[in-house]
Amino acid sequence: MRLWLLRWSPPVLTAGCAAMLALIYINRQTALPSIGQAELNAFTMLFLGVIFEALPFMLLGVIVSAVLQVFVSENLIRKLAPRNPILGAAFGGLLGLLFPLCECGMIPVVRRLIRKGMPAYIGITYILAGPIVNPVVFASTYTAFRGQLHLVYERMILGFAVAFAVGLILHRYMRANPLKETVHTAEAHTHHHAGHEHHHHDHHHGGHAHHHDHHHGKQTFGSRLVSTLGHASDEFFDMGKYLIFGSLLTAMIQTGVDRSSLSAIADSSWLAHLFMMGFAYLLSLCSTSDAFIAASFSNMFSVGPLLAFLVFGPMIDLKNTLMLLSVFKLRIVLAIIALTAVLVYVSTWVAGALHG
Amino acid sequence: MNRISARTLIAHHLLRAALLAGFALLIVYLKQRGELSLFIAPRTEQAVKLSALGMYGAAAYQAYSAFRLWRDKRLDDACDCGHDHAPSPSLVRNILLYGLFALPLLLGFLLPHAPLNSVLAGQKGVSFTGLPTPASAAPPSSDTSVLRGSGSNNGTSSLDVLFPADEYTQAYAEFAKRLYKQDRIVVDDSLYIETLTALDLYQQPFAGASVTLTGFVYRDDGMRDDQFAVSRFAMNCCSADALPYGLLVQSADANHYANDSWVTLTGTVTTTEWRGESVIMLTADVITPAAVKDRDAYVYPNYEFDLSP
Repeated sequence: MRLWLLRWSPPVLTAGCAAMLALIYINRQTALPSIGQAELNAFTMLFLGVIFEALPFMLLGVIVSAVLQVFVSENLIRKLAPRNPILGAAFGGLLGLLFPLCECGMIPVVRRLIRKGMPAYIGITYILAGPIVNPVVFASTYTAFRGQLHLVYERMILGFAVAFAVGLILHRYMRANPLKETVHTAEAHTHHHAGHEHHHHDHHHGGHAHHHDHHHGKQTFGSRLVSTLGHASDEFFDMGKYLIFGSLLTAMIQTGVDRSSLSAIADSSWLAHLFMMGFAYLLSLCSTSDAFIAASFSNMFSVGPLLAFLVFGPMIDLKNTLMLLSVFKLRIVLAIIALTAVLVYVSTWVAGALHG
Repeated sequence: MNRISARTLIAHHLLRAALLAGFALLIVYLKQRGELSLFIAPRTEQAVKLSALGMYGAAAYQAYSAFRLWRDKRLDDACDCGHDHAPSPSLVRNILLYGLFALPLLLGFLLPHAPLNSVLAGQKGVSFTGLPTPASAAPPSSDTSVLRGSGSNNGTSSLDVLFPADEYTQAYAEFAKRLYKQDRIVVDDSLYIETLTALDLYQQPFAGASVTLTGFVYRDDGMRDDQFAVSRFAMNCCSADALPYGLLVQSADANHYANDSWVTLTGTVTTTEWRGESVIMLTADVITPAAVKDRDAYVYPNYEFDLSP
């Protein structure tokens, strides 16, 4: 299913868009009014807007990840990360305060940290809590909901609590290495595990051993940093396709779905929760800006569904599912999604009920 | 694993270099044409421009990799270091992958760009009530014994009666008191949402006040023939989170103003029912066409609002 999704959904959508573009050009010349200039303009605005907004954060994430690769040793991370699973999950949940990266930037960092020896459950807790429990998101949520400050705090608390719980459950039940290893990388990983991770960027296709030893003695810290930063450009390209695909879908949904037709759903409590979570999933918004989307629904939806949107969206959405799948094994990703969905649903339902 | 020839790898690196440079150039191009602000808020513009620099760097590295491959005629120097960015051998997948990257570039470079307009406003649903305020806020006083216009002569206590507030709405109450003392309330771009929110929160005291605002004409299902809305898109970070805020307008000349035409309108505050809620409606006194530059089309939340005295 994952392969099928990864392999075919971006191409199909791209082809669809190309077809749409072609249609629009034909329409302009023959003056058929079926697809309007205004819709295309709105689509372009949203599509590029999301990409531009996410670019600096993604770039920052990739650079931090490259710097971590060079400067942070496996031992340091191992020392920093608490042994105790409760402390470990709490550490992962609060790491966003130290490293406020957004979802796009976070996943390569975490992949690196896990390879460097950080326990995987801590990394995953960070992926879930980081986009919520962080100063930038607190500020944006505060701005959007300054009339309902309790919602800002509840978002932070539930965000931490859900990630903390998922982290503990993963610690208890996850045994295998959750990182994905694709066929063509297996070779390099063998080396990696042999303890040369600082240099695995200099590995070459042929003649591993020779080149490796050669570089080992010669390379300085600085040149290693340069080559790693250079390599970050590959990683950037790698992550970029998920960002662009996610932005493409977001723009399509936002220009294609009429929001006033949603009001019927808002009347049913359990449906409203599900709906807002699904909506957050599909929109794949950056957690620094989703509070404002949520605020626009606050006259339609009550506290519970709004919280479900604000807590679930940053943790799990379409864009970051694709990114997770590029790093973690399918089973782990599905488990994370299911756990998070259930916990968010229950906790926001309780929070909503407490508000009456 | 299929070995990819050096020549193919060079092509991949060059393509990637071109696409990355394309994104950097697109940002510079849009900035030069003054169109970057249509996509992102000014406060994030600096970061986006910096990321253009980063992409130049990334493009340069890709070009350099291609050059090294070409010079050394060896596969060894390809960066193939155990990540999943090694190019796929499938031609179709590559075309589609690079097509995905090229799509935003094509849209960005080839299409003319205009601010979001009434078409998307219709999809998103214009808010006529400003920002949401808590239901627990004290309802505006219905005590109309203090007549409008005498406000500036009244002591603070009668103003406090007109503009009750709790801890959440204190800033709006203070702001509303200042607006109330003005002969004509001009909705300033820098306080657009805040002004609309204050007006909505204190509908009763503002009844009869004269309000001037600028925005684009928008019509929604359920509006009468003599009604339209004057709206602006408020952007927080980027165009994807932009939401339309506006005021309902009643005018006998409503049909003279097409959707998306920009107007500056002065009207008198009344209230009406809109989808089960009481909202402010302006009875138009003067409507003049407005020339608003594209880059001034959006409004932004005012982050100093709570802090200002």
